[in-house]
Amino acid sequence: MDQETVRTICYLARLEIDQKKSNKIQKDLETIIELIGGLQTIDTLDIEPLYNPLEMTASTHEDIVNSDNEKEKFLKNAPASNEDYFLVPRVVE
Amino acid sequence: MSIQFKSIVELRGMLDEKLISASELTQETLQLAKKYQELNCFVTMNDEVATKKASGIIPSDEISSWLEGMPLAQKDLFCTKGLRTTCSSKILADFIPPYTATAVEKLEDAGAITIGKTNMDEFAMGSSNETSFFGNVHNPWKKGYVPGGSSGGSAAAVAAGIVPAATGTDTGGSIRQPAAHCGITGLKPTYGRVSRWGMIAFASSLDQAGPLARTAEDCAILLNSMSGYDSKDTTSLNSDVPDFLANINQPIDGVKIGIIKEFNLGELDSEVQARFEESIKTYEKLGAQFVEVSLPNISASVPTYYSIAPAECSSNLSRFDGVRFGHRAENTDDLNDLYIKSRSEGFGDEVKRRILIGTYALSAGYYDAYYKKAQQVRRLIKNDFDHVFQSVDILMTPTSPNTAFKFGSKGTQNPVELYLEDLFTISSNLAGLPAISIPHGQVNSLPAGLQLIGNFLKEDQLLNAAHLFQKNSDFHLAQPNLEDFS
Repeated sequence: MDQETVRTICYLARLEIDQKKSNKIQKDLETIIELIGGLQTIDTLDIEPLYNPLEMTASTHEDIVNSDNEKEKFLKNAPASNEDYFLVPRVVE
Repeated sequence: MSIQFKSIVELRGMLDEKLISASELTQETLQLAKKYQELNCFVTMNDEVATKKASGIIPSDEISSWLEGMPLAQKDLFCTKGLRTTCSSKILADFIPPYTATAVEKLEDAGAITIGKTNMDEFAMGSSNETSFFGNVHNPWKKGYVPGGSSGGSAAAVAAGIVPAATGTDTGGSIRQPAAHCGITGLKPTYGRVSRWGMIAFASSLDQAGPLARTAEDCAILLNSMSGYDSKDTTSLNSDVPDFLANINQPIDGVKIGIIKEFNLGELDSEVQARFEESIKTYEKLGAQFVEVSLPNISASVPTYYSIAPAECSSNLSRFDGVRFGHRAENTDDLNDLYIKSRSEGFGDEVKRRILIGTYALSAGYYDAYYKKAQQVRRLIKNDFDHVFQSVDILMTPTSPNTAFKFGSKGTQNPVELYLEDLFTISSNLAGLPAISIPHGQVNSLPAGLQLIGNFLKEDQLLNAAHLFQKNSDFHLAQPNLEDFS
């Protein structure tokens, strides 16, 4: 894993790494990738991935507004909001 | 009469005999938390609400529920309405949830009193509680030593006798390993047994809430309240919940316990091995039979986990963007810059490391090689468990290959060194199985844990076996000397 790959992953993850820590992060990531790369030696031909130990389809419910769905309470935790919306920097000039 | 180091069963007796009132119990608990604040177990106290709730509990001659008036601590990963919930992260340092997690709500509905929120590894990512934004938690058995993680604050608060029990969550061992390092009992239930609603997600297919307490009996009491179907959690199990407490005095004659060949226990520290051999003898005396079993793929658990867990974490933690809640960076150029700066300022190094690994494992060109491959190996590991549980009832391992270690002594140069601490606990998360850790003596004056892994939904069997062990030993009664912390 080179510095360019680290920069690409950082961008995909919307993270920036302190330049002083950049080499250490690169080394750590290489070590972890080496650890999980060890799985390649295991024969998994025709084995279905197990994404969830219960192997069940997530249950669904009716899409109805209930008492847990209260706009004011949720807006209260926002760093910036008006009475209806979360506020972010302007995206369209 | 002091309440410190008392179990739920003992405190229930004191309340019912009117030796103490619920108000006095809560006040004494809050005082103990203050006295031992140097342990750094708590991130936020709930003094006012706890005091008010306790004062509303009127003693009566009716039989009370086990948890009526019982002080409990909640891991700071459970959302608690009106009470700050940080996940021990800077990014949530000021977050006040508008709702309460189902697991906590069920305990509170049963009468439990939340006295505070416990410190933990940031977003539950760690095995030593050293990644918390709010600082390290000390192991009550030795100052400057880790309590384990990620539920380190919960484990330390119980081990120091401040609260009789606490909630925790376990994604790769985060209830069992700190329970082992602190000399208490901790249970990770079957995946889906306890609702995940209101738990701040780390790895959704692995996370499970459970109790940490002084005894298996107390864990059964907590699990009785915490369990059950919840329509708000799409992976909640809609199956019967037995009375775990009523089932804990069954004989274990003829119960078959498997020892996993691939864990090479002969390579562990000789004292860790000695404690394990002694525990085998205890169970043999109780009538259990031991057999060696093989789980050919179990050695791949650590790399499998460290591909799947970061992948799920990178997806789950994308919600922290500085827009709807949590930390927002100042002086940003545009929306993208706001995302990047808010996340970079808000997350600590271990969380960033795991997000980056997960992002890499899920990115185009690497998905099949890392993420899909790990999920395929995960099925092989689960198949191994399915196979051995046809011939044994329980599997037994040490909880951790080592006891608690000094702050900063592991994982700082090489993160994988710390990941290997999870060797014995991770596989039950991958397969969704229940597992319990109980104290079984000490190694170099620090507690060591014994792990029992059960088949799907067999928490009753684990609690029964753990309870019988505790009826025939006194390791769970050992108390740390807390002079250095008060």
